[in-house]
Amino acid sequence: MTTPDCGPNCEETLREIESFLDGELDVVVQQQISVHLSDCNPCMERAEFRRHVKVMVRAKCTGDAVPPALEQRIRALLEEPPAVS
Amino acid sequence: MAQTAAAEDPALRERFERDVLPMLPSLYAAALRMTRNPADAEDVVQDTYLRAYRGFAGFQEGTNLKAWLYRILTNSYINTYRKKQREPQTVEGPDDIDEWYLYDRLGGRNVELSAETEVLDRIPDEAVKHALESLPENFRLPVLLADVEGFSYKEIAEIMETPIGTVMSRLHRGRKALQKALWDTAKERGLVDDDDA
Repeated sequence: MTTPDCGPNCEETLREIESFLDGELDVVVQQQISVHLSDCNPCMERAEFRRHVKVMVRAKCTGDAVPPALEQRIRALLEEPPAVS
Repeated sequence: MAQTAAAEDPALRERFERDVLPMLPSLYAAALRMTRNPADAEDVVQDTYLRAYRGFAGFQEGTNLKAWLYRILTNSYINTYRKKQREPQTVEGPDDIDEWYLYDRLGGRNVELSAETEVLDRIPDEAVKHALESLPENFRLPVLLADVEGFSYKEIAEIMETPIGTVMSRLHRGRKALQKALWDTAKERGLVDDDDA
């Protein structure tokens, strides 16, 4: 088992860690996990690692330069005569 | 009320320019991750803008514009592009990968967390993009929508027209697959020791 031994809440905390980091748990559970993390270094380290992966993926998977020709074509759409609807 | 094309209504057109045009960089980046090549991404984005512009009168101001646009983008990708691709629909997930795959490999070495995350930060942007793009589509889209675009599970379910439980399961499995892809790319680039392959 890779689950760190730091109390009865570790397993549940780590099972919910994705939903926790996604902010998808209900307020009470979200708070309980926050409390557990602040008391439990091994879980906190895992949570921080997973959070870092998310932040890193987000930072590195954006910022592609839009081809100027594409932007021109899209701006041209706005100048078109009314679409038949 | 009859649907009015945005082009017929100056105020609507102005609002489209103000609110929808600035989304182009993020829509284009998302289309690149979906289609995995610039020419197809351009087609999908152009189609998205055309559909959005024509349907803009039906969009209720004050509701979730970003989710509305990504739903059009995703539909455009699925309907027009994927048909050509014949990409096999992967139902099987990377179930042999542990949820802590990357952590255990980077972190099981008694190094500080900062050293673990530093390895991740040193992976070039292009390699991270490639790692995400390497995931099967069923897993790639939820990871893209959640981790890159920041949508909630409920929004992703609506964008992909998929039950929320399916979104959560694919997101979970997609993230595991992404961890392995990131590890593989870090290894290929010599950023980590290949002593536990």
